[in-house]
Amino acid sequence: PPPANVGRAPGPPDGGWGWVVVFGAFVSIGFAYAFPKGLAIFFKEIQDFFGTSYSEIAWVSSIMLATTYGAGPISSILVNRYGSRPVVMFGGLLCGIGMVSAAFCTSILQLYICMGFVTGFGLALNLQPSVIIIGKYFLKRRPIANGLAMAGSPVMLCTLAPLNQFLFDNFGWRGSFLILGAILLNCCVAGALFRPIGAATASVKTQATEEGKDALKEEVTKDAVEMNSPTNIPMETKREEEGGKDCCEKINQYLDFSLFKHRGFLIYLIGNVLMFLGFFAPIVFLAPYAKHIGIDEYSAAFLLSILAIVDMIARPTTGIIANSKWVRPRIQYFFSFSIAFNGTCHLLCPLASGYTGLVIYSTFFGLAFGMVCAMLFETLMDLVGAARFTSAVGLVTIAECCTILLGPPIGGTLIDTFGDYKYMFIKCGAVMVLAGTFLFIMNYYNYRVLAKEEKERKAKEEDPKSVRTENEDRNNWNKETVGDGPELEPLREEREGLKKEVNGT
Amino acid sequence: FLTGFFHISEPLTAARTVNWQTRGSTSDHLTLGNNVSTSGPDLTTQNFKQATKENVSNVTFVEYEVLLPGECVSGTSIEKNITLDNATTIELSCRLDSKYSHLKSLQVAWKRGNETIRHIRKTENSWSIQLKILDNSKLGSYSCMLEGEEEISAKFHLQPKIKGKEKPVVSYEGDKAVLICKSFDYAPIAWTWYMTNGGEQIAINDSLVADKYVINRISASVTHLIIMKLTKEDDGVYWCEAAFELGKSKAKLTLKVLSLVVPLKPFLAVVAEVVILVTIVVLYEMYSKKKEKHAVEFWNLTSLSYREAEESNGLENSSARHRKI
Repeated sequence: PPPANVGRAPGPPDGGWGWVVVFGAFVSIGFAYAFPKGLAIFFKEIQDFFGTSYSEIAWVSSIMLATTYGAGPISSILVNRYGSRPVVMFGGLLCGIGMVSAAFCTSILQLYICMGFVTGFGLALNLQPSVIIIGKYFLKRRPIANGLAMAGSPVMLCTLAPLNQFLFDNFGWRGSFLILGAILLNCCVAGALFRPIGAATASVKTQATEEGKDALKEEVTKDAVEMNSPTNIPMETKREEEGGKDCCEKINQYLDFSLFKHRGFLIYLIGNVLMFLGFFAPIVFLAPYAKHIGIDEYSAAFLLSILAIVDMIARPTTGIIANSKWVRPRIQYFFSFSIAFNGTCHLLCPLASGYTGLVIYSTFFGLAFGMVCAMLFETLMDLVGAARFTSAVGLVTIAECCTILLGPPIGGTLIDTFGDYKYMFIKCGAVMVLAGTFLFIMNYYNYRVLAKEEKERKAKEEDPKSVRTENEDRNNWNKETVGDGPELEPLREEREGLKKEVNGT
Repeated sequence: FLTGFFHISEPLTAARTVNWQTRGSTSDHLTLGNNVSTSGPDLTTQNFKQATKENVSNVTFVEYEVLLPGECVSGTSIEKNITLDNATTIELSCRLDSKYSHLKSLQVAWKRGNETIRHIRKTENSWSIQLKILDNSKLGSYSCMLEGEEEISAKFHLQPKIKGKEKPVVSYEGDKAVLICKSFDYAPIAWTWYMTNGGEQIAINDSLVADKYVINRISASVTHLIIMKLTKEDDGVYWCEAAFELGKSKAKLTLKVLSLVVPLKPFLAVVAEVVILVTIVVLYEMYSKKKEKHAVEFWNLTSLSYREAEESNGLENSSARHRKI
């Protein structure tokens, strides 16, 4: 078969180098999620060293987390402009610099800056592009790829926790930070693997001339136009509709704010922001809760290990399930179900008595947690399409940032007020069940509206006046259905592809 | 000879008294509660719950009892270790198993070393003495002896516990180090820090060399020793000693001072690994791009007819071709 960059819009490879990219994303995502959690080992020592209170040290972790999520839009803009690879490599470099400089800090404020901001920003530049590039390399097998890449988080956590302990015992906290800075540079290796794909194809250029775009726009959106070449048309149509407002247009090039008119995106945003309010708190408080009901420290830590191991297995498995022909077209329902399942686990947790009960809870929690995480970005990709995903993920992460940061402190306040952990579990469970139900209902509505639009579109296709090129069809369709990403396109192709697969095998 | 020994010693840990009722175990040390003591020069800790506690005037009154067993095994001695941390009036009693009730006249003697102490026969088969432990001098070993076949002794040993850190504290030359000691259960009157210098323990006085050592008492039960401007000579073992009303107890800490070169080696090793891997990836990519370029040039020649065919066939076929890639 001819190479990808010959004369027409290439489809995503769905394999080949894509699996190497998945491995790179595995490493990158793993560091981004697991690294802040793994640092907790050092906090006691640093607290004693600088003579501060525990909450001041905990701020380091919060700042890091906030920066990782809050810098999402910046990450998206950079990826839109330069592509995934340079951003990840720069992010890895930044993380390394941050941690190395943290090793030489002499005050807690310097730690906030070096560890909190710099490293957090570097991790943000790692996380977003890794997720984005999976969408560029995969379509048919995207859920599997996402599941595998997201599995990096528990694997890295299980590796980092004992490694951090070992480093700390042998080198103290300063030496450990120095070495961890070097280890974070491995993100650069992961970034080097992110070969850019589908750049500057001929059909894109013909497209541009058809639309009458200027050369600047072409260059900027070139990277965003991977496989679905007409998907930047929504942005163009926006411009035409708005009558050429240059300022908004320029911003939209870098960060697609028109997403806020996208029905699917809004549903996802509201549902997820709600969900994150109760997502992380149970993990934070699981070990303290276990100790509270009288379990010893090591068994309590073991609960978290069980959670991590089940999580590790659950993520790729969920990816495989989500990729199957029964689930893929209705993946949003599966996602809503897993959120509600997660919430139910929390609601049932107070009923767990003794260590066995908690072990069962940890297992189910690990399973539910893995399911949700594996599909977190897959569902967003499914809703907005891979090209707009770049901006979507940035906007979503900065919105989630607030609730992620609020979740554990609210849980902590509930625990302190009532002196009982069960209210925290009830709150988390209720919030997540609510989020899951909301997503389920809204996605049902969304699917129905999309099906209707598909029908209208097919009706238009019958019209002999419309130019019979694939791109023009999509163009018209997009003009009518404002803000609708081409999610039906992959679904339709997906279904046909699956039919072919089924017939073939 | 049945003997019960009560050994009351220097408090090294705060005594949380545990309800112990011995059943005449024949081990050398009877342990009650959680902690096991191994006797010896090391300071060991045991916790004992109070059997009964009454406040008599200002001094707490605690009762300890040991039960002498019926089985006569030669050379058995029952030893109980009681930890006291402050002035206490205690009552030690030896109780005989009912097996002895057949003996009409029982000779029981309470002794401390060779010195006999007057005892009270509380009941038919228990004898007790009351002791006021107000200072170090009263600590020691008390035994109750029953004239008979075997000698059983009960030793009571109290040790309040303080804790340092088992793993060594690691720090770097020119940096500072913080050594922390905590006392559980009871607050010591005073803390003292020692450093070992050639086998000797020298007290650390922070006022002498102001820039070097700072001792902070963070709370009643926690003390910090901050050593600044570390050098290689500061490497070694440190002791923190807690003084209680009735004695002292010590804990050990180790300080390791490393030079900056030590973590630098692994750091450079990992950086080298990263550079090598990135180079390999980039080289491989350049190599495979060259291969692809040759293939592209070939296909470009044949692609024109390809594209025309595609456009005329329309939507369905191109989707099919999409999938094939």
